[in-house]
Amino acid sequence: MSLPSKQQGLELKTLAVENARRSEAGDALTPLRGDSLNALEAAVFPDRKTEQWKYTSLHPLTDGHLRTAADGALPEPLPNLAAHRLVMSNGRLQENLSQLPEGVTLHRRAGQRDELLTPFALYNGAALTDAITLEVAANTEVSAPLHLLLHAASDTPAHCQTRVEVLLNPGSKLTLIEHYIGQGPVLNNAVTVIEARDNASLTHYRLQSEREDTLHISTLLFRQTGVSRIDSYQLMGGNRLRRNDVRALLEKSGAELNMQGVFVARGQSHIDNQLCVEHRVPHCTSNQVFKGLAGEKGKAILNGRIHIHEGAMGTLAELSNKNLLLSPGAEIYTKPELEIYNDDVKCAHGATVGQLDAAQQFYLQSRGIALAEAKRMLSLGFVNELILALPDESVARWVQPWLAGELSQYPGANEEAA
Amino acid sequence: MSSQAELDKVIRSEYEAGFTTLVESDTLPPGLSEDVIRFISAKKGEPEWLLEWRLEAYRKWREMPEPEWAHLHYPKVDYDAISYYSAPKSMEDRPKSLDEVDPELLDTYKKLGIPLHEQEMLAGVAVDAVFDSVSIGTTFKEKLAEAGVIFCSISEAVQEHPELVRKYLGSVVPKSDNFFAGLNSAVFTDGSFVYIPKGVRCPMELSTYFRINEANTGQFERTLIVADEGSYVSYLEGCTAPQRDENQLHAAVVELVALPGAEIKYSTVQNWYPGDENGKGGIYNFVTKRGVAHDNAKISWTQVETGSAITWKYPSVVLRGDNSVGEFYSVALTRHAQQADTGTKMIHLGKNTRSTIVSKGISAGKSSNAYRGLVRMGPRAENARNFTQCDSLLLGDRCGAHTFPYIESKHPSATVEHEATTSKVSDDQLFLCRQRGIDPEKAISMIVNGFCKEVFKELPMEFAVEAGKLLEVSLEGAVG
Repeated sequence: MSLPSKQQGLELKTLAVENARRSEAGDALTPLRGDSLNALEAAVFPDRKTEQWKYTSLHPLTDGHLRTAADGALPEPLPNLAAHRLVMSNGRLQENLSQLPEGVTLHRRAGQRDELLTPFALYNGAALTDAITLEVAANTEVSAPLHLLLHAASDTPAHCQTRVEVLLNPGSKLTLIEHYIGQGPVLNNAVTVIEARDNASLTHYRLQSEREDTLHISTLLFRQTGVSRIDSYQLMGGNRLRRNDVRALLEKSGAELNMQGVFVARGQSHIDNQLCVEHRVPHCTSNQVFKGLAGEKGKAILNGRIHIHEGAMGTLAELSNKNLLLSPGAEIYTKPELEIYNDDVKCAHGATVGQLDAAQQFYLQSRGIALAEAKRMLSLGFVNELILALPDESVARWVQPWLAGELSQYPGANEEAA
Repeated sequence: MSSQAELDKVIRSEYEAGFTTLVESDTLPPGLSEDVIRFISAKKGEPEWLLEWRLEAYRKWREMPEPEWAHLHYPKVDYDAISYYSAPKSMEDRPKSLDEVDPELLDTYKKLGIPLHEQEMLAGVAVDAVFDSVSIGTTFKEKLAEAGVIFCSISEAVQEHPELVRKYLGSVVPKSDNFFAGLNSAVFTDGSFVYIPKGVRCPMELSTYFRINEANTGQFERTLIVADEGSYVSYLEGCTAPQRDENQLHAAVVELVALPGAEIKYSTVQNWYPGDENGKGGIYNFVTKRGVAHDNAKISWTQVETGSAITWKYPSVVLRGDNSVGEFYSVALTRHAQQADTGTKMIHLGKNTRSTIVSKGISAGKSSNAYRGLVRMGPRAENARNFTQCDSLLLGDRCGAHTFPYIESKHPSATVEHEATTSKVSDDQLFLCRQRGIDPEKAISMIVNGFCKEVFKELPMEFAVEAGKLLEVSLEGAVG
């Protein structure tokens, strides 16, 4: 049974609090659970009147989603994108399936942070069953990418809390593939915190390829506390509810952040991206490029906020969000926001919503390519510049067929009539 | 309970007694109640339906919360501390001559090149049989009557053209549309009414300026413009000269109705008192402006905003008819402690609808300037097209510039584009000007004028010249 919409927030919270009380106690995570629970009790859960949840309803959540998921069956074979792989299933680390590369240490802990005071991040902290913190040693270059496979599965409505923290010590370098998979009516409520210190460099992939029946709410926090560089590539498929809160804090002059993303909302799926990049100190650079596609009854949302604090002179910040609306019934909402408190900055943002070019479709058709195929090719072409820019070949090799699959499943793509 | 009911009865009966005396007087004590609305309505000799309409608006307004979403910070307005009706200031209260007027204000008038007698009028100097305006007024009224154009105050229109007012009042901005529009609907005192008959091209640009000394339009102004099929009108609101006003809160409503094939061009220059350097005493401007464009109609909003301590204003166009066009051109300049949250809404409902938004924000001092816009493509908006550009210019490191553009698309053949940039005055441009012997202040004003060119060219000629000068004057002392 779905929670009544008006009471939704309230009931969700009560149940979350109860649930948090029930979770296992007496380990390294107990203080975090306690702190989160206290904060959660005071927190206001979003409803449709909450500005940041304007386009996303928590309706797909049922009270079943307040039950902790038992161990889920992992798919066979497991996707393998790199030499080293860590597997978490329904929020718990699977030690037998995991190996660590040299220079990375793992701890089963997580900490409370002021930047993570949103209701769902608190819910994560309060109801945690396990958590991992990865630390890359100073002045260490981890040669091969690390594949972090985050799995969630359940046959009945349930939730799991995934928590990962990554610390890049000064002078370290890492390629991290944060890969979400799963099936069944399970809510994966994930929190990822990544901190980069001086001269650290991170290439980050975020692949969200869960099946269509899953639910996903996540909070991703980047903290650049040193002169560091983060390149993040975020690829999202559709499911019943996908909500990504991404917050990046540039806290030391000279830090550089690049974020690129592709999101595809097909069928009945719903994707909501809330991005916030905060320039807290002078002379930092951020660059964001996101491309979205929505077809059939899909809904794609992007809110891209750039916040330049007072005194953050010499800031360069850009955001571009281009979207394709492929069929009637699909919806796209985009809002690139700028909040600027300094004059010595260069900021720009752009957003477009459009459709496939009829002339291009005609060109392909006139050369004997069926309309459906032409549409698929053009859609792929729309996002391809971002896919081609993926620096790791193994990831690109996995992404290309997956994305082609996501696009070809548009029911609209099979229509013969224009 | 019964004692409470009795108490209520006593209170009410006392008020009824007080009510009759109130009609005699010219100014109401502060506070808002149904009786105040009855008083205003009775004072203006309004028909029953309008009173009912006001009361309904008031009842709904009572239940509405004041909006807090705007990027504005100001102390809460006490709506019970405002007097909702006062007769125009009598001649005795006004300054007797320009010598009694604030010299700073006169200085600004001089810089703007305003003729002496107009200065007197703007500063509210008691001048009877106001100079030329009477004769101007008569000639322009004759000309309008010839064309069949109705241009009068809204109170006059309620008496003389009730069928038109009844049909269109509240048809664009419903009485419970938002908090400030609700308040306005309940207590509006006056404003302008324009009706352009079928196929008529209004022979002149209409301006509130012509009507400025007719009556004190007050703080709750209501404007209704109806352009019948195939007609055209250009309407100018406000003027470039800074105006003193004793009312701190202004909650106006402007409704435009463009029937099939009609075109309305609405230009505003707003330069109300922005308060002192800390924004004290400045005017709060909470305006609801909206137009409905039917088939093949066009509505164009152009605004230059330099005044008011707080600006909360989103002139919008509902593109209801097929092939209708909406435009929004805006320059908003804030300095000292001014705050502006302004932008537009383009709601595309019909097929082949087009809209253009060009917004230029300039912030200086410790002011805050936000663009907030919505472009919505409805599920029927086939081939709808929007282009939005909003640029911000920052002068000084303590000001803020913000952009909140909402884009919502529900039709696959609709195209929306949005671009925004924020930067300071380019050092290269400044250097180039200075190299050629132009002093920094003049150079900045030239660069800012260039930055706003796209909007100024949309203004009627005289307005555009004045607006350029206005910007120059407003920027004085804001740089460096």
